Amino acid sequence: MKIKLLYLLVFLMPLCGQAQTREMTANERASFQQSLQQLLEVKTVSADFVQFKHLSFMKKPVESSGKLYVKHPDKLSWAYTAPFQYKMVFKDNKIYIDDQGKKQTIHIGNSKNFEKISTLVSSSLRGGIYDEKEFSVSYLKQGNADMVRLTPKLAGAKKYIKEIVLLFSPKDKHVEEVRLVEPSNDYTRFVIKNRKVNTTIDESIFNL
Amino acid sequence: MNRFLTCSFFLLLFSVSCGTYRYPNASGIRESVTQELNNYYIDTAQTFVYRAKLHVFKKDMNGNLIVKTLTRNEHRVALVSDFGQTLFDVSLSPDRYELHYAMHDLNKRTVVREIVDIFRTMTTQRHSTSAVMFANQQHYYPVYVVDNCYYVLKERRVERIQQARGTKEHLAIIYREWNPEDIPTSIAIEHKKFPITINLTLDPDQSTL
Repeated sequence: MKIKLLYLLVFLMPLCGQAQTREMTANERASFQQSLQQLLEVKTVSADFVQFKHLSFMKKPVESSGKLYVKHPDKLSWAYTAPFQYKMVFKDNKIYIDDQGKKQTIHIGNSKNFEKISTLVSSSLRGGIYDEKEFSVSYLKQGNADMVRLTPKLAGAKKYIKEIVLLFSPKDKHVEEVRLVEPSNDYTRFVIKNRKVNTTIDESIFNL
Repeated sequence: MNRFLTCSFFLLLFSVSCGTYRYPNASGIRESVTQELNNYYIDTAQTFVYRAKLHVFKKDMNGNLIVKTLTRNEHRVALVSDFGQTLFDVSLSPDRYELHYAMHDLNKRTVVREIVDIFRTMTTQRHSTSAVMFANQQHYYPVYVVDNCYYVLKERRVERIQQARGTKEHLAIIYREWNPEDIPTSIAIEHKKFPITINLTLDPDQSTL
């Protein structure tokens, strides 16, 4: 009986290993970083996103979705469309918020966390030059997909975020998933879909 | 004379600090048969996801409040911002709580105590054997009392919970709308000591009902 179980384990092991995460080899890392160079040509990105909030005690995540627009160098529109309407625009060192018609403006000087989020989202979608002063960066492989894990170094950031994981599409090397892991190990997963690169984005998208 | 004034001052202070809350227009408290109150969150198969709009110390914030019934009188309550960040996550039972996580800025003893008090009052089932008497009973809905909480019933459902501390109202939880299964779909929470209001709207698609 024990031998049968051992055989079963031996045959199942390779199947379990398929989605495992491992460090990139030096060659893989060089090739990945080369592929990121193409993303520096990205001037605009528009995409749909689906956000899944995973809590340890919930069987299914809390889901929301919306649209995002990035215009290099410093404009980001992040709008939830379901199940609620809520839009944030980051530009001119300010955050403009439209909460179902109720509008407010926040000066980024008062909200450094928002600034960091904006910079991280924009730079990730454009290929990312990661700030190694703020994060220790790990280059990983998950199946065929490339993955970058950013672990905050600074005590201030560690209070809010345990790690940020970026998953890149094996097809075109664009970011297709972002996972923000909290110190409690609960996490939020953003899946980016229907991405359009370097198309014209109407300026009105960034006006609130 | 000085001794008299000092004694009077302390007697006055004592009588004020020991004063009790008096429910508006109440003429007294009577005994009643045991009444089950606040049966909204007792089914362990259910998880409630509410859209939450908070106005806290002049700041607006939106997110989702998740209420999971663990046992009949034990609940896990978490508040998550729109961007997905967990603000707090706590397990509540009538006589204790376990804080699983609170965002750094909220992880202060007073803040956690108020959070626990608000959501414990909102979710806990109670049993009352006391009711408020009114001089003119025809004009008032039944109001049951448990400890320092007053439960106002309308059409046999708890419509409002008013919590008192000392001589003043401390917290009001108002169940405004229900679905056909009597699940609260709209709730307003008003803190009477601190400038905190929370409006909750049930998201039936994300809830497990």
